[in-house]
Amino acid sequence: MSEKEKSQYGEGVGFERIRRITGYLVGTIDRFNNAKRAEVNDRVKHGV
Amino acid sequence: MIFTVKKRDGREMPFNIEKISDAIIKAFRASGELSEQIKASQDQLDLLGHEDLLTSTALKVSAYAVGRLEAEGKNKPDIEEIQDAVEKALTECGYGVTAKSYILYRAERTRVREVNTRLMHTLRDITFSSAKESDLKRENANIDGDTAMGTMLKYGSESAKHFYTMMMLKPEHSRAHMEGDIHIHDLDFYSLTMTCCQIDLIKLFKNGFNTGHGHLREPKDIRSYAALAAIAIQSNQNDQHGGQSVPNFDYAMADGVRITYRKAYLSNMVKALMLFTGKDEEEILPLVKKLHAEMAEMGMVATLVPNEKFVEAEARELSKTYEIEMVMKSQKFAEKQAFEETDKATFQAMEAFVHNLNSMHSRAGAQTPFSSINYGMCTEPEAQLVMKNLLLTTEEGLGGGETAIFPIQIFRVKEGVNLNPGDPNYDLFKLACRVSAKRLFPNFSFQDAPYNLQYYKPGHPETEISYMGCRTRVIGNNYDPSREISYGRGNLSFTSINLPRIAIKMKSVDLFFKELDRMLQLVSDQLMERFAVQSKRKVKNFPFLMGQGVWIDSDKLGWEDTVGEVIKHGTLSIGFIGLAETLVMLTGKHHGESEASQELGLKIISHMREFCDKESKRLGLNFSLLATPAEGLSGRFVRMDKKKFGNIPGVTDRDYYTNSFHVPVYYKISAFKKLSLEAPYHALTNAGHISYVELDGDPSQNLEAFEKIVHHMAKVGIGYGSINHPVDRDPVCGFVGVIGDVCPRCGRSEGHAISLEKIEELRKKFPGMPAFRGIR
Repeated sequence: MSEKEKSQYGEGVGFERIRRITGYLVGTIDRFNNAKRAEVNDRVKHGV
Repeated sequence: MIFTVKKRDGREMPFNIEKISDAIIKAFRASGELSEQIKASQDQLDLLGHEDLLTSTALKVSAYAVGRLEAEGKNKPDIEEIQDAVEKALTECGYGVTAKSYILYRAERTRVREVNTRLMHTLRDITFSSAKESDLKRENANIDGDTAMGTMLKYGSESAKHFYTMMMLKPEHSRAHMEGDIHIHDLDFYSLTMTCCQIDLIKLFKNGFNTGHGHLREPKDIRSYAALAAIAIQSNQNDQHGGQSVPNFDYAMADGVRITYRKAYLSNMVKALMLFTGKDEEEILPLVKKLHAEMAEMGMVATLVPNEKFVEAEARELSKTYEIEMVMKSQKFAEKQAFEETDKATFQAMEAFVHNLNSMHSRAGAQTPFSSINYGMCTEPEAQLVMKNLLLTTEEGLGGGETAIFPIQIFRVKEGVNLNPGDPNYDLFKLACRVSAKRLFPNFSFQDAPYNLQYYKPGHPETEISYMGCRTRVIGNNYDPSREISYGRGNLSFTSINLPRIAIKMKSVDLFFKELDRMLQLVSDQLMERFAVQSKRKVKNFPFLMGQGVWIDSDKLGWEDTVGEVIKHGTLSIGFIGLAETLVMLTGKHHGESEASQELGLKIISHMREFCDKESKRLGLNFSLLATPAEGLSGRFVRMDKKKFGNIPGVTDRDYYTNSFHVPVYYKISAFKKLSLEAPYHALTNAGHISYVELDGDPSQNLEAFEKIVHHMAKVGIGYGSINHPVDRDPVCGFVGVIGDVCPRCGRSEGHAISLEKIEELRKKFPGMPAFRGIR
């Protein structure tokens, strides 16, 4: 195995997920308070 | 015998009977009971002075209390046991009135102690728990509660709230707030400032401004225009507790583009003439400069879209010195070059503006300024260039391809201006949709909604509808109907009503309205109380907002003047949350499910609006009805109601109350129907509103559907709306889009690593890939 194959990056790094909070954005969901997190979880998609 | 007592914190201290008698003396003084006896005894014997009698009686009662404790075998009593004994001693010695005042005194001390303990608990929570564990630290997602300054801000904020609820609010307002009937927003700033403001940049930039540490001259280039715009937002943010918005970003920045183009044209004209005529700069530059200055005085300047008047006059004048052919060739060259340079400079300016607003700090460094910008209706080419480049840089994202959180961008939609093919800004509308489909911004505001259109006067951008990004809207003006504009105005304070609780308590619709009226009046009184406090503030308390004339008419005030009169242009807003839960409680169904519920919903919100209008008339101010953003409030009311009333299906069974008048997020409904149902509430909530719908997948792949939704918003009378969709990003490979369990670009799943080899391979395919931390 070459050095490049061996050196691994991204262990423990999550994906950033940005959602609109009330009218604005605040960055990733981990900044949301508990209630807003629950609300985001419950959001269903609206068909067009 | 009693030698030691146990303190509240568990420590043992030597017993001191004087401490007991001191407390008893206080109780006697408060009750006034003994003074009558003193009077009587003085009349008879005149032996003892007032103080002597007080002390000796108190000692007698203390001794009696101690005797009681000893008789009960309590040789190491704690504070509560001693106080119980004192209470009984007072009663048994015949001082009933004093016993009562002692009990009251005890209760008051307990209350203060509890509040202090609660404050200490809160401060401990802030100090020792991370934002991940502490909901309190995530109350406002825009503040990083883990940082030193974020923590310091939280200490101040929580302590201030305690202070105001105990010392400044009227007891009935304080109680209603603490018990969750109402929520007084930004209570930590109760006595200090107002919420927000729409900053007219054109007025502010004229003649420059001062941020408190030096004067900034009137900007002379689009880059400095954009830089100063960010500074203005930041400076004003430090004077208020809410957000800051620019109502005229397109108009204001267009001025900067004009100047930049003029300069670029001049320098390129000189360059071209040098090249074509072979003459040197020393000759050409002064000549062209002088000519341009003279022409400017006659109202002729070089413009982004060349104007004949200028071009012809310039050619005529220059051809007196140089060959006309050379002159015209030079003009063509200069026009093309100047346009390209201006376009590039504008892009850089917008890029820096967005970067600045996402990296600069306000409020002791704990917060990024909460910034919004409104634009979309200015049809001048310079403004179009600004909007195009702003949208393009937004689409590109920040340095690492991240979605910019600020500024909140609001694209103003109007028929005949940008909504339909053939409209002068239609291409910008299309671009706005494309960018929003990728980056969630811009949001869309709708000038043609009747309640927005009624204020609009063509040719007067100050009458265009402006929103704060969060949704706050200020345009009507009952205090001064001749100033129905958005510039220089904002909200003063707002308080929200817990609508579902009224429904839970009252059950019937009739009683609901009765209690709602009581609550509305309570909130109106509370807003007026706060307004009185705000009115006493002086210009010097707002060095930028008032000192630099940002707030309407504040430029007419002196440094020591109070702001009471000018802030009457602002709004006092009554907000609400959980219309959906309210309707479920009253009818069994929310307004997404039943037409009858929708009818009742509109009746409730109309009723609230009528109350606001009535208060505006009665008090000569601007009361308005707000569909509260309720980021921090979303969980607070329902938590309390669940505790108080238990788990009520469809009402208190979730961790949040549904935002304002929204159809619940969990309810399956089409985007069009949701918007149609919510639109009539926009017309009623004159202090602000927003509707959004959730799209599945990546709407960039279906722009047609995206635009159709925006058109539908315009059609049904939405005032302010946006379209939600997932925006995910993998920090390792920089992919932005929808990520399920696996990143579509690099194939890694959440938390897993990929090899350097793979990263380098990807970089060949995606040269713009950001460098992930740790990779050289």
